[in-house]
Amino acid sequence: MLVCLAALAAAPPGALAQEKIDFPVIYDTLPNGLKVVLSPDSSAPIVTVAVYYHIGFRIEPRDRTGFAHLFEHLMFQGSKNLGKMEFVKLIQANGGILNGSTRFDFTNYFEIVPSNTLRTMLWAEADRMRGLDITQDNLTNQQGVVKNEVRVNVLNQPYGGFPWLDMPQAANTNWYNAHNFYGDLADIDAATLEDAKSFFHQYYSPNNAVLVVVGDFDPAQAKQWVQEYFAGIPSAERPPMPDLTEPRQTVEKRVTKKDPLAPRPALAVAYHMPERGTPEYYAMGVIDQILLQGKDSRLYQALVQRRGLTGDVSGGINLLGNMYDYEGPMLWMASLIHDQNVSADSILAVMDSVIAPLRSAPVDQAALDRALVKMRSDLYDTLGGMFGFGRADLLASFALFDGDPARINRIEDQLRAVTPDLIRKTAQEYLRPTNRTVLIVEPGAPASATDSTGTSHSNNGRGS
Amino acid sequence: MKISVNVGRRATRRTAPRTAPCTAHRAAHYTVHRTANLLAPWSALVLLLLGVAVPVAAQKEAPPPAGPPVSFALPAKSELTLPNGMAVTLVQYGSLPKVDVALVVRAGNINESARQVSLADVMGDLMQQGTKTRSAEQLAREAASMGGSLDVSAGMDQTYIGGSVLSEFAPKMTALVADVARNPAFPDSELQRIKDNHLRQLAVTMTQPQPLALQKFRAVLYPDHPYGRVFPTAEMVKSFTIGDVRRFYEANFGAGRAHLYVVGRFDSTAVMSAIRDAFGGWERGRPAQMAAPRPRSARAVYLIDRPDAPQSTLLIGLPVAGPTSPDFVPLLVTDALLGGSFASRITSNIREQKGYTYSPYSTVSTRYHDAYWAEEADVTTKFTGPSIKEILGEVDRLRGAAPSGPELAGIQNYLAGTFVLQNSTRSGIINQLSFINLQDLPDSYLTGWVQRVRGVTPAQVQQTTKKYLDPSRMTIVVVGDEKVVGDQVKEFGKMVK
Repeated sequence: MLVCLAALAAAPPGALAQEKIDFPVIYDTLPNGLKVVLSPDSSAPIVTVAVYYHIGFRIEPRDRTGFAHLFEHLMFQGSKNLGKMEFVKLIQANGGILNGSTRFDFTNYFEIVPSNTLRTMLWAEADRMRGLDITQDNLTNQQGVVKNEVRVNVLNQPYGGFPWLDMPQAANTNWYNAHNFYGDLADIDAATLEDAKSFFHQYYSPNNAVLVVVGDFDPAQAKQWVQEYFAGIPSAERPPMPDLTEPRQTVEKRVTKKDPLAPRPALAVAYHMPERGTPEYYAMGVIDQILLQGKDSRLYQALVQRRGLTGDVSGGINLLGNMYDYEGPMLWMASLIHDQNVSADSILAVMDSVIAPLRSAPVDQAALDRALVKMRSDLYDTLGGMFGFGRADLLASFALFDGDPARINRIEDQLRAVTPDLIRKTAQEYLRPTNRTVLIVEPGAPASATDSTGTSHSNNGRGS
Repeated sequence: MKISVNVGRRATRRTAPRTAPCTAHRAAHYTVHRTANLLAPWSALVLLLLGVAVPVAAQKEAPPPAGPPVSFALPAKSELTLPNGMAVTLVQYGSLPKVDVALVVRAGNINESARQVSLADVMGDLMQQGTKTRSAEQLAREAASMGGSLDVSAGMDQTYIGGSVLSEFAPKMTALVADVARNPAFPDSELQRIKDNHLRQLAVTMTQPQPLALQKFRAVLYPDHPYGRVFPTAEMVKSFTIGDVRRFYEANFGAGRAHLYVVGRFDSTAVMSAIRDAFGGWERGRPAQMAAPRPRSARAVYLIDRPDAPQSTLLIGLPVAGPTSPDFVPLLVTDALLGGSFASRITSNIREQKGYTYSPYSTVSTRYHDAYWAEEADVTTKFTGPSIKEILGEVDRLRGAAPSGPELAGIQNYLAGTFVLQNSTRSGIINQLSFINLQDLPDSYLTGWVQRVRGVTPAQVQQTTKKYLDPSRMTIVVVGDEKVVGDQVKEFGKMVK
C-alpha cells in the first residue's frame, strides 16, 4: 500500500510525481522460532501465503547434488493429513494457484488464493511443516519428474545450462557455490527415503522458516490462525551454516564449453558482487542499470545498436531471482549469442570499452538519474509482481536473512544514496578484469563423452 | 515454475530461467487462454469466490472450511473512439505508481504472403530504429528516463507498441508511442543488422524441439494460411528490402486498425489530452483484412528426427470451436479438467503417476475467430509410445464417461479464482481487453464468463469432449530420436515425414 493511496485515485493533474512506498509490515516470532510476517493490502480480494525455508541448494549434501530441489518436489507428495495430489487439488479447488522453487539460499512454497480461503491455506502449510508422509513409489515418481525437468531445461536445449547453471560452477571456487545445483542424474537417482527424512528433520523446522501473508485479510484473525496451526510444531536443531565465502578473485578465468546443440557461439561474463547490503552492493545495482538493463544501457548500445554484434545482451544480479532475494556470494552476469565470424575477444574488447570508463571517472549525473529512475520502476514491478507474491518474496528474504522484513521500505533510500564517486570506487574493485570469469560456448561435440549431464566444462568441473 | 520456452515466432531471448528448479507448473496458466475479462457497465459484475474443503480419508484431520465468499468487482473502464477511428480504453488500476501504455494494431503475420514470413517482425524491429525526429538511441533514452522501455512486437493477428513507465510519465509515454507508430523512419542503414539478428535467432530456434514441433503442427493444421507459417526460411529473411517493410507498413498501419490501452495509475485528463494531440491527426489507413482459416486435421504421426535426444517433444491436437462459439467456454472448462491445470487428468497421469515428464499441459490456443486444442509434453525417450497412449487414453476416458460433480466443481472454482488473477495486473487487463476486441466479442462475453463456467454440467464436459476432441482425427507431432522412438510411435497412425 502506498502513502496517499486513497488520495491517488482523485489526484489532481501534476500530483503524481515521486511517491515513496511504505508497505505495512507486521513482524513477529513464535516461541518455536517460526518467523511470521503479515502485510495487508486490500487492492484485490486475494492473499498470498508463502513459506520460505532457510535451505538453498548451496548447502545440500556433497554426494547428493540436486537434492534440495528434489526435496522441494517431495513437499508436494504427501503429509499427515493430505495424500499425494490432495494438496494440489485443495489449492486448485479453492480457486488458487501454487508453486515452489529452490534457490541459492532458500526453498519456497506459496499459494495465491481468494482471500476467504486463507485459513485453509495456513492449515495446509502447517500440515506439511509438521511432517511428511512419503512412500518409495512417490520418491521414485518424483525422481523421474525431476530428471525430466533437467532434460527439458538443460539436456535437450541448445545453451541449456548457459549461463545460469554453468557460470556459478566456473566463477566460484567454494564447492557450496560451485556445484551443479540441478544435480547429476546419477545423484538424483541415488537419493533414498532415509535421505529425505534426515533432510526434512535438519532443515524444515519452524525455527528455520518464515511464514508470510500478503493481501486482503485481517491481521488479528490471521495471527490467531497462525497460532492455532503453527505454534505447536516443535523446533529442531539446525546444522551450523558452512563457510560460504569466496576468496577474492585475482586472475581472470576463462572456461570453454562445447555444446553440440548450439548453432552459434555464445559468451558470458561474470564478476563477483560486493557483499549484500553494503553501499557498494547498492552501487552495483545502479551499475547494472547503467551497463545492462534496457535498450539505453551502455552494453546494449555498444554491442547491439552500434555494432550489431548480437541481437541482445541480457543478465543482471542473481539470474534465478533478483538483486534482493539471496544471501550468500553472488555474481553480476551478462551474456549473448553471436555469429561465428566474430571472435569472443573482439566482443570482450567492446565490453571493456564501456566498462573501463566507469572505473576511471565518475558517471555524469544524467546517467545516474536515469539509472535510478529505471531502478525505482523495476523495484515497483518486483514488489507488485505476481499478485502480491513479489512483495512476499522480499519480505521473506529480509526476515530470513536479516530479521528485518521492514527493509523493503528502505530500499529506495539506499539506492538514492549512491553517488557518482561510490560508483567509480565500486567499479574499480568489482569490475576489475581480474575479478571476471569469461564463459565461452562453442558449437560442437564435447571432447569427452563421459559427461552425464552435458553441463560441465573441460577445465572447470563441478564439485571441484 | 516451468522455465518458459518461447514457441512463438521470435526465437527465445537468452535470459535465464526465471526460477530454475521448481515443482509445480505454469502459474501463468491464465495468460494462455486469454479468456478475457473486464466488463462494460464495469461495475455490473460482482463475482463471488467460494471456498471448498476437499474431503480426505477417515482418521485424518479435514482442512478447515473457507470463510464466507468474497466479492470481486472488475475495475471500471472508460472508452471512446477518436474521429479518425482509433479506439481508446482507459482503466485506473493498481496500488503502485505505474502505468502501461499499449497501442494494439490489427496488423501482424496474418498479413504476410507466403514469401514474406516474419516480415511483420522485421518491420516491428525496424520501427524501433528511429522516427523522423528521434534516433533509436534517443527513443531508448527517453523511455528509460520514464522508468521503462518502448517495445514493438508483432503477433499473428496484432502488433503491440508500448511499455510500462512510472505514473507521472503517462502523457509523455503516450506521445512517444504515437511517434513510433506514426512516424517510423525505417532507416535502410539498419536493415542488414536487423536481418542478421533474425537469421541468428532463427538458427537458434531451429535447434529447439518445441518450436520445431509447433512449426510442423501448424503447417499441418493450416496448410494454406499464414497461421500455418510459423518461421521463415533464411532465404526469405535475406530477401527483405526496405521497400518491402515500407509497403507492409503502409498497407497495414493506421488509426482505423488501432486501439490504445492505458492501464494503471495515471492522470486521466492529462492522458486524454496527450492522446488527442498525438493521435488525432493519424490517418485512418486501410481496413483490416482478416482471412478466416479453414483448419484441418486427420490422424497421422509426424516424426521429426532429433538424433540421441533424451526426450521426445509431443504435440497432439486438432482444431476446435473458436472464441465466438457458444461451445468455447465449455471447451475451456473441459481443457482445464483434462490437461490444462496441475491437478488435471493428463498431468496427474503422465507426471504424478508415471513420472514420464515434467511440464505437460494442454491449451485451447486462439487466433482470430480460430482455435485448436493441443497437449504438449516433453517425455522421456523410452516412454514416448506409452506417453501418447496415456494422453489419448485420458481423452477417450472423458469421452466415455462424464466427470464427477466434485471433480468438475473443483475445476470451476479454479477457473473462477484465476479469473480474479487475470484481472489483477495491468498487462493482464490489457490482454483480456485486446482479446475480446480482436475477437469482436461483446462485453457480455466477460460479464457472463464466470457464470457460464459455473453453468457447465458434467454431461456437457463429456459431450464437448466427444464433439471436439476426437482422437481418431488428432495430429500427432513427435520430435525425438527416430531410431529409438520410430517403432514406438508407428502404432498411433500413418507415419508422415
